[in-house]
Amino acid sequence: MKVMFLGTSSGAGKTTVAALYCRYLHKKGISVVPFKASNLSNSAFITKDGYEIGMGQAFQAWVSGVEPSNDMNPVLLKPSGNGFIQLIVNGEAQTVSDADPMDRKAVMKKACEAFDRLSYKYDAVVCEGSGSPAELNLLDKDLANTGMMRERRIPAVLVGDIERGGVFAALYGTWLLMPEDVRPLLKGFIINRFRGDPTILGDAVDKIKELTGMEFIGTIPYAYLRFPEEDSLSESGGKLEGPTLIDAFIGNADSLLETAEDYGLDLKKIEDISSS
Amino acid sequence: MTAIHKMQSYYPNIMMHLPDNMDNITKKVREEIERGWIGPDKSCPYHPCHFTGQDCTFCYCPFYPCMDEDLGTSIRSKRGSDIWDCSYCLFIHRQEVGKYAMSEIKRMGISDPKDPRIRDILTEAKARFHRKGKTIMVLGATSDAGKSIAVAALCRILHRKGYLVAPFKSQNMSLNSKVTRKGFEIAMIQTLQSKAAGLKNPDQYMNPILLKPKGDAVSQVIVKGEPYGDYNVKDYYGKFVPGPGTEIVRGTVGFLKNRYDVVVMEGAGSPAEINIYNRDIANIGAAKIADAPCLLVVNVEWGGAFAYAVGTINLIPEEDRKRIKGIILNNIRGDVSKIAPGAKEVERILGIPVIGLVPHIELELPQEDSEALRDMKSKGSGNMKISVIRLPRISNFTDIDPLYLEDTTVKFITEPEELAGSGAIIIPGTKNTVEDLMWMKEKGLDKAILEQRGRVPILGICGGYQMMGRSLEDPNGIECGRPGTYEGLGLFDNVTRWGEYKKRTVLDEGVLLKTGGPVTGYEIHMGISEIVEKPLFSIERFTGNETEGSVREKEMLFGTYLHGVLEKPSFRRFFLSFVKGGENILSTSEPRDYDDLVEENLEKLASAFEKSMDVGKLMEILGEEQ
Ligand code: SF4
Repeated sequence: MKVMFLGTSSGAGKTTVAALYCRYLHKKGISVVPFKASNLSNSAFITKDGYEIGMGQAFQAWVSGVEPSNDMNPVLLKPSGNGFIQLIVNGEAQTVSDADPMDRKAVMKKACEAFDRLSYKYDAVVCEGSGSPAELNLLDKDLANTGMMRERRIPAVLVGDIERGGVFAALYGTWLLMPEDVRPLLKGFIINRFRGDPTILGDAVDKIKELTGMEFIGTIPYAYLRFPEEDSLSESGGKLEGPTLIDAFIGNADSLLETAEDYGLDLKKIEDISSS
Repeated sequence: MTAIHKMQSYYPNIMMHLPDNMDNITKKVREEIERGWIGPDKSCPYHPCHFTGQDCTFCYCPFYPCMDEDLGTSIRSKRGSDIWDCSYCLFIHRQEVGKYAMSEIKRMGISDPKDPRIRDILTEAKARFHRKGKTIMVLGATSDAGKSIAVAALCRILHRKGYLVAPFKSQNMSLNSKVTRKGFEIAMIQTLQSKAAGLKNPDQYMNPILLKPKGDAVSQVIVKGEPYGDYNVKDYYGKFVPGPGTEIVRGTVGFLKNRYDVVVMEGAGSPAEINIYNRDIANIGAAKIADAPCLLVVNVEWGGAFAYAVGTINLIPEEDRKRIKGIILNNIRGDVSKIAPGAKEVERILGIPVIGLVPHIELELPQEDSEALRDMKSKGSGNMKISVIRLPRISNFTDIDPLYLEDTTVKFITEPEELAGSGAIIIPGTKNTVEDLMWMKEKGLDKAILEQRGRVPILGICGGYQMMGRSLEDPNGIECGRPGTYEGLGLFDNVTRWGEYKKRTVLDEGVLLKTGGPVTGYEIHMGISEIVEKPLFSIERFTGNETEGSVREKEMLFGTYLHGVLEKPSFRRFFLSFVKGGENILSTSEPRDYDDLVEENLEKLASAFEKSMDVGKLMEILGEEQ
């Protein structure tokens, strides 16, 4: 089983949604592991073996009941200012810049190898994209979104954030701008940070289904809970209580999962997509 | 000049245009004719009383009363007679009009304002110089896309080119409102944009529908500056919008088009909310009513900007899509040129030009979004720590912004522990004084504040001021839906009563009694307070001076109804001087008027937009030949 969660923008909530799905599978007794091909961040988590991975993947590993490991986030990009980036692949660091960019092909290969190792060891690999998959000026350089989807034919679910408005435009626009060869892999969509009465969405959801052929998985209510930040933009404050940080995050994931399912989030549909 | 002039600019319909005053007007016009054309009169202390660059030749209009509804309006006085009201007319103050009228008067040798030929001059001046204004609308792909700022920038860019410009937002949901000189309530951001347009007096037509959220999906609807009723989401879209809403938008935008060269309209939220598309009067719906071409602003910062742009435009039905004439990619951090290839691709896909690649601009302007409440902000070394109580129903939080002119750190707090170490405490305005007072008590913030009494200065503004009193009486349940009397914080002995459903909205100007320094502000509140404390300000009124606010200097307690009270340096610095070590800190910074800072930032904003936009293309979209 494999699936990719894409966001219509940074901070759309893909980290959290991927974690919820990990948790759901874990609770069903399916062995599950998170994966994000590349991560652009300065806040890293150090694994037991001393590797750095993104905080988001560490969190997703905890809710999946597995120990965070390097393969979950094989490529890490750490901006070091002045247009230079520290590129860490499987724990090996090198400095790249605009003038001297990374060898995308080689890096992609490493990412795919990590993904394959996880696929072999676990029943389900839950992938997370990076930023928006529809950045027209970056499409040919993409690793974590369309890059991985193309290489390993991973079906995807698109997460849109309704809080800022324009969520239908974001979902439809992202679908429209996906390269044609991977567009058929977009199978479903989720509306995140929803407040109020879902009936107000009315025919809009049907319209997006009709225009794109994607399935509607459901809405996730606005949560006053704290999750590790996907990137510098999603500033999630809110409740975080438990004996340890890890327990607190797991507790939050459990309670959001429950509310989301009450709200009609249909995770069975994602399971079907993952197996397709 | 002076007093009369001032009152006239505040109450033009009352002072200037009562028929009993006709003789006076005739006399003034005769003097003006004798004086001849003067252009802008920068020596007048009230200049510019209408807009920057106005012609002051005819402070009193020679055409009065012209009875032309394209220019003035007819209003019914309290006594039942009709009065010709010129307060929305700027025609005679356009330089070309003032100049032309005077030269014709001179050419024809007219000296008596009652000469019937003056009428012909007006007819000819109108034929030459009056035309219906153009419109342009700024839509945003999301909330916080930068629409408001883009409208302000366009207003200033066009104003610099010599156009008479009005901002317009048909429907605004906002917690920050301001009062116009006539006592009407509109969204704060439209008053800021009107300042960008060089206008002195924003009016209620610029934001005809203001929605003030009351909680539980209910909003108070303010129409043309006055309370209209409470609506929930369903009734608002089901009843208000298709009914009165549409006509209100049509009427007000038409009114502005008659009086300005360009009306720069702002949308609300995203125009592609297809679930309410057919009941929209805030975005494309308004553009259709005004027949406006549209620009789409997309915030690049969060990523996905191209998808937002392409999705928004493609979800708009085809017949409306052609209104969108340009795209602005806004808030680009880092190297702008990196995004250019993507922009080119969007142009190709949509067939719509990207007319602006606007970088992130650091601005110090009052902010509308709730992001403004999230962080702690510091200015300078941030030596003075000021805690502002983050009330759940906080309103007019832009009151706090002028503090960033001083060496301060401002923090919005919700917990009693956070008060520790504060140099001063501010209790701001609220949509509901009683509910928020209860919230403070539940949190224990009341006790925490009382513990600080006499130790640090405490300022209450509007609702916060009401809370500082001894008691709050709501016998008819006007403020919070159920009758009751509530114990205030007791910092003052004042009592506030909500006797009847009545809102007070008024613009104030006066002095700080202690120093005589000037103060300005505006009041928006229900409930009347019986003040037993020593007053803080003296406010000039048409009917004479009145005192306002309360002060106990020894205990460092200050309270006022005036929003915007910190904008002028007098009171701001007086208040901060009570902070421990405050005087030292204040001595290192210049006393500045917040208004000047805003003006500087509007200039900076417009210049940045001008530099990163294809202004020629903008003028072409507007239908203005260069
Ligand atoms: S032209 Fe304007 S100012 Fe003069 S009378 Fe008419 S409405 Fe009033």
